[in-house]
Amino acid sequence: MSTRVVAAQEGRDLWIAGRALLLVFAFSVLLSAITYFTAIDQTLNFLEQKEAVDFTLQIAVGVGVLVTLVVSADGISGERERGTLEALLLTPVARRSIMLGKLVAALSVWLAAFLVTIPYIWVLGNGVSLVTKALVLGLAVGTLVATGLALFGLLVSARCASNKASLAISFFVLLALFAPTQLPGGLPRGWFFDVLQRVNPVASGLQYTHLILVTGHSWTRDLSYLISPVVLILVAGALALGASTRLVRLFPGVNSV
Amino acid sequence: MRTLLLLAGLLLLSALPAAAADVTFDRPSAAVSVGDRITLTSQVVNPAAEPTDALVAHLDVVSLDPDVTVDPEDWSSDRTQYLDPLEPGASRTVSWPVQAVVAGSFDAYVVVAPAGTPGRGPVVVTTAPVHVQVAGRRELGAGGALPVVLAMPVLLGLGAAAMRYRLRGIR
Repeated sequence: MSTRVVAAQEGRDLWIAGRALLLVFAFSVLLSAITYFTAIDQTLNFLEQKEAVDFTLQIAVGVGVLVTLVVSADGISGERERGTLEALLLTPVARRSIMLGKLVAALSVWLAAFLVTIPYIWVLGNGVSLVTKALVLGLAVGTLVATGLALFGLLVSARCASNKASLAISFFVLLALFAPTQLPGGLPRGWFFDVLQRVNPVASGLQYTHLILVTGHSWTRDLSYLISPVVLILVAGALALGASTRLVRLFPGVNSV
Repeated sequence: MRTLLLLAGLLLLSALPAAAADVTFDRPSAAVSVGDRITLTSQVVNPAAEPTDALVAHLDVVSLDPDVTVDPEDWSSDRTQYLDPLEPGASRTVSWPVQAVVAGSFDAYVVVAPAGTPGRGPVVVTTAPVHVQVAGRRELGAGGALPVVLAMPVLLGLGAAAMRYRLRGIR
């Protein structure tokens, strides 16, 4: 119950008074640019069009997750910095409910980003019968990765006294995770790259979507790629919720981070 | 002398290529649209009185239009299949799942050759081709994408601006 109250309040702060709408607006501008420049290329054949759908979905998931991470990384450290955490801690709400409520609010941004993605995927994928598959895949994989990274962002946010530090650390980690997904396909890749890709929740999730959308694999064949996002949810979730009493607190003086 | 002739005949027989198989497709033509997946089925039969060697069957696709290029790897990632030797009169069905990736007019055919016995060929048989007519689908175009490309940011921008205006009014 108290989780729902926190989530509703956080949602109002984000969507009415906050920057969520502006972030989703910027997200739609980015997707519009990608879709337009893909659509004006009349020489695309079927395979290239499939890759265009895959690329757009990867950008949508990657940036959608980034926005979610930024929102969650502001969750605790932002309250601390704005001086509103003290008031929140005085309410009769369990610390775990505060964490869960902030997680739900952050995930609402991912869901909004996904809803914005739908028309773009429809435009790009309609001619190659990929719309439903791409959207279901994007929702499933994106929600897994977004949940894991939102929990990670909350953990970082709870540990950092400064909101800038929390955002910087979260942003850097996401960039480090996203960069390997953009390596050119022609580069030699051995078992070490495969291991790195599989332990990286963003890269492995996006590789899973690529294998289904472009390579034509079945949904069950490469499920092992989803292990790392699930492990991230379990580990970060256990830490964030299990240690919420120690994490959601005021810092005496200035913290070292 | 007769023994020598008999031996020479036996040697000649063993040096001859193994019996060839016949191979046919289940249909003469197919009409699909770009992106459709179809499965072509070929039947490999040994009509001879001796068993065949192990066989290798390979699918190929050629474009009948000089302006349309074909990369058969795009059509099927599994275009070579190895078959066990066929007993006299035996047959084997081989399936070829393919995906039409570009519009145009194409012929698909299968070549069957003995596998793993270099020097005993060439005994290569080819099917009569399946004619595959691939129709194009709605082309992706800037005109079709423009409503979404423009409408989404405009709607969201108006929503964000309206929210800010309303908040400013409240404050």
